[in-house]
Amino acid sequence: MLSKAAIKELNEIRQKYPDASAALLPALYIAQREFGYLGADAYEAVSDALGVPRAIARGVGTFYAMYKHKPMGRHIVQLCTNVSCMILGAEKLSDFLKNKYGLETGGTTPDKRFSLVIMECIGACGTAPAMLVDDDFYENLTEKYIEEILEKYK
Amino acid sequence: MITVTIDGKEIKLEKPVTVLEAARSAGIKIPTLCWHEQLERYGGCRLCLVEIEKMPRLQTACTFMVADGMVVRTETEQTANVRRGILEFLLINHPLDCPVCDKAGECELQNLVGKYGPAKGRYKEKKRKVPESLEDPIIVRNMERCIMCTRCVRMCEGVQGASAIDVISRGGHSHIEPFSGGKYDCEYCGNCISVCPVGAIMSRLHRHSFRPWQMENEIETICPYCGVGCTLIVQVRDDVIKRVVPRIGSVVNNGLLCTRGRFGYEFVGSKERLTTPLVRIAPKTQSGVGSQESTLSQPPFDKGGSQGGVISELFREATWEEAISLVAKKLSEIKEEYGNPAIAGIASPRCTNEDNYIFQKFMRVALGTNNIDSTARTGFAGAQSFIENIFGQGATANIISGLSNSDLVFVIGGDPTTVNPILGLQIRACSRNGGNILTIGNFKGLEYFSPQKLVPVLYTEDILLEGIVTVLKNKKRLSDANSKLEAKIKDISTSIEDVKNICKIEEKDFNEFLNILSESTNPSIVIGKETAQSNGASYKLLLLSAINYLINGRLYLLSDRANEQGLLDMGCAPDILPGYRPVSYVESKRRYESIWESELPGKTGLTIFEMVNAAKNGSLKAMYVMGENPVYNLPDSKTVEAALRNIEFLVVQDIFLTETGKLADVVLPALSWAEKDGTFTNMERRIQRLRKAVNGNGMEDWRIISEIARNMGKKFDYSNAEDIFNEICKASPLHKDLTYEDIEKGGGIYPYKGEPLRDGMEEIQVHNAERLSVNGKLYLRIERPLFHSGTLSRRAPALVKIYPEAVVRISPDTAKALSFKEGEVVRVSTKIGSIELPVVIDKALDNFSVMLTNNFEGKSAYRLMGYDIEPVTRASVLDGNTVAIEKAGL
Ligand code: SF4
Ligand code: SF4
Ligand code: SF4
Ligand code: FES
Ligand code: FES
Repeated sequence: MLSKAAIKELNEIRQKYPDASAALLPALYIAQREFGYLGADAYEAVSDALGVPRAIARGVGTFYAMYKHKPMGRHIVQLCTNVSCMILGAEKLSDFLKNKYGLETGGTTPDKRFSLVIMECIGACGTAPAMLVDDDFYENLTEKYIEEILEKYK
Repeated sequence: MITVTIDGKEIKLEKPVTVLEAARSAGIKIPTLCWHEQLERYGGCRLCLVEIEKMPRLQTACTFMVADGMVVRTETEQTANVRRGILEFLLINHPLDCPVCDKAGECELQNLVGKYGPAKGRYKEKKRKVPESLEDPIIVRNMERCIMCTRCVRMCEGVQGASAIDVISRGGHSHIEPFSGGKYDCEYCGNCISVCPVGAIMSRLHRHSFRPWQMENEIETICPYCGVGCTLIVQVRDDVIKRVVPRIGSVVNNGLLCTRGRFGYEFVGSKERLTTPLVRIAPKTQSGVGSQESTLSQPPFDKGGSQGGVISELFREATWEEAISLVAKKLSEIKEEYGNPAIAGIASPRCTNEDNYIFQKFMRVALGTNNIDSTARTGFAGAQSFIENIFGQGATANIISGLSNSDLVFVIGGDPTTVNPILGLQIRACSRNGGNILTIGNFKGLEYFSPQKLVPVLYTEDILLEGIVTVLKNKKRLSDANSKLEAKIKDISTSIEDVKNICKIEEKDFNEFLNILSESTNPSIVIGKETAQSNGASYKLLLLSAINYLINGRLYLLSDRANEQGLLDMGCAPDILPGYRPVSYVESKRRYESIWESELPGKTGLTIFEMVNAAKNGSLKAMYVMGENPVYNLPDSKTVEAALRNIEFLVVQDIFLTETGKLADVVLPALSWAEKDGTFTNMERRIQRLRKAVNGNGMEDWRIISEIARNMGKKFDYSNAEDIFNEICKASPLHKDLTYEDIEKGGGIYPYKGEPLRDGMEEIQVHNAERLSVNGKLYLRIERPLFHSGTLSRRAPALVKIYPEAVVRISPDTAKALSFKEGEVVRVSTKIGSIELPVVIDKALDNFSVMLTNNFEGKSAYRLMGYDIEPVTRASVLDGNTVAIEKAGL
């Protein structure tokens, strides 16, 4: 079930679009926030709130890799391992995440604090290696810097 | 005028169309995969690429519009190379398992690869593996074979309007899935199966049981389930129905089917079918309710074997000669001893016009009684004659496809998408075409079609309708075209306060609804059975007629039986003769007396409900039931059962040993719809041809009755259904001079060549029923599910798999108040009985309603529902059945 506040938010978003299916993407973000990821419950909630058939909501949601499609940690670490980042040691950083935090690619820490997603170039090649934690952007990463950064996310 | 040249052929076109359409109009075939004539264009597969002069690149014929002077080449070396390339790509992940694929032989991909190649692929990587999904009981999904043409998705969303499937994920991982990822839980129309070009989604009903080219026969006939009358193509091999498919271009359903029509055919081959006449050996006891239930409760279809046990306890097998002469003798004796009024007959909305015509002729000529009726009396018959009395005969004979061209459809009294599914699709199409859908009540099947809803408190619809008439009559001018109705309209008036306070409708919603309604220029009104079976039905029908008159609309009466209309037109009613001529007209009586060379009874007969009463009080001595199961299909079925036990001589003619059959003295095995010729008249009053597809054990209903009539010394000489039809068309002024040939050429559209009844309309009578107050109580109402229709559907394994057991539906608030969880087994009790069954919590329900279907043996709504008779329409009134629900086993 969506919270009252989320339903209100959804209704406001709905008003900005000409029809219900156009409001699907932002609505799915809200549902993802509420449910933690997009699963059957989230799609059904969005479907009920917008009046869009649930199979269609799921079809749209699963098209986008940037939604969470399975339960994930509270914070998402998105580490780039594409060419520039790789040359400047991103793979070592990924080993570091694994050894220090138990974070495997695509995995979640046992305390559900972090999940790790490996990215293909986040446009920071000049200041590589780089990563995103949730919506925050970090560059020129080192192991020590990563430790400092992750301390901020509980 | 546009002139284009395609493959050297000059084509002239009135208006711009796509290159593909232009080519098709000239008989030039361009290969396609994602294009389908029933679907919106897509342009996804690129197989239809063609060369167009002066264009630098190839263009997709299915999306590219023609222009004057265009020169197109559809088959060149270049197009062949491109097509081969595309096909090579489509095959990279394809399992190439054609030897075990049911589609092989009618697969568009296989045929195209056969034509263009490649003979060998160059792809060296591992193929994508997706296990075949057998999670659904009806539809098997094999995503390795899918070519992502999205035809199924466009069908489900854009035509069927169910939106149950979509493309999941993207790129090489794309696949088609229903919401759950496994089971479909959809409307199971199977229309996605029709349009899939490959073997990616297919029916499990005939899985691995034949090859398409092994089909021995294809017969075009009419669906046996509802009043829409869809055309079916029945495919047969070894005298067994293997598959039922629609035909693109057929008038009523144009390439579409609903779940019952497509998947409901297996009852024909059921092991439970009757094969020989049976004569009763067991005494007829008026024993306690408990033991009655035990003899009546039947094993489900898949345990058909034990049916034999029930039969041999109650009956012995008899020859046709013995059974026929026994029936003739007993009926003659009873007629002799007690007189004609002691005999009655129940006709069948599942039987053909020919069967029903012979039935009523037999009752009238051989048995001398007008005691003929049918389950049409429970709603349809009375509603139709009420409306026709106001607007004239044929007022409800409107073309179903006209709904999609209406600018407004007003729906009341039933969800058209479940009762008459293909008609429901026309309403969805109306919404898609920009029309308005207005509903009185909640109808789930229209939920995604932006209905403007007014949902009055249960049993207060009449006030809302009065409110609508009150506003409309002030907005519209009365023209004096129908003075009888106008006189009534003048008296109708209610205040907006009543609508607000009693119906609990917001004034704003009401006004908005009325603005839309009054501005419509081409409206249709669809009336369901719940209105016809409601308290004060005649008054509501008057109000709806008034609305229809004021907005100048068209009326549609939903009909849940295939030949409900035909049976009435054949005169299977206590007060009408064939051609819908009143018994009370001396002129029509004389006409039939001279044609049938027999004196006819002048008094109108008993309705089906009066027959039950007469049986109960002992005045009815014999009853002949053809293709109907009154013990199951009439409300208060336990009383019906007791009444029928009371009858001295009961003949039941059917394809199964029904609950009613078990009470019979003689049971006669009839042929099913797929085993005989004849005609059905659909709810548009269109007459259509049924054709025999397979052989069966038993005789046509008309033939059995004719044999009995002959045995009684009457002249009933017919050699086939066409003979009878010819007699009908000679006798009935409505069907005048019609022939099978005319019907086959499309001449079956009302009013045929006939004379509809013009004069003789009577005063409009209405019954002002006392309003039921719903305070704090729960009421039992009938759910009419898409997947069932009663006696037939419960013997169709596919439909049973989709909807396997009876459930009781309650609103979330009711569930909360009684603290019931979904699926919990509860006891549902009314004044006349109680049953136990699982709860389903249904968001669409109001807090006064409890819904139960009448489709499952022993757990049917009619066993719990008492009824009153509406004095004007003489239909059963099912409103006001209070119900209690409690935890089971307490
Ligand atoms: S069977 Fe009908 S409702 Fe179900 S997925 Fe196919 S098209 Fe849609
Ligand atoms: S399942 Fe069939 S119709 Fe649907 S996308 Fe795949 S190939 Fe096309
Ligand atoms: S809509 Fe009615 S007639 Fe058509 S297929 Fe379905 S049940 Fe048969
Ligand atoms: S390669 Fe890592 S940011 Fe571009
Ligand atoms: S048929 Fe034209 S692109 Fe598929």
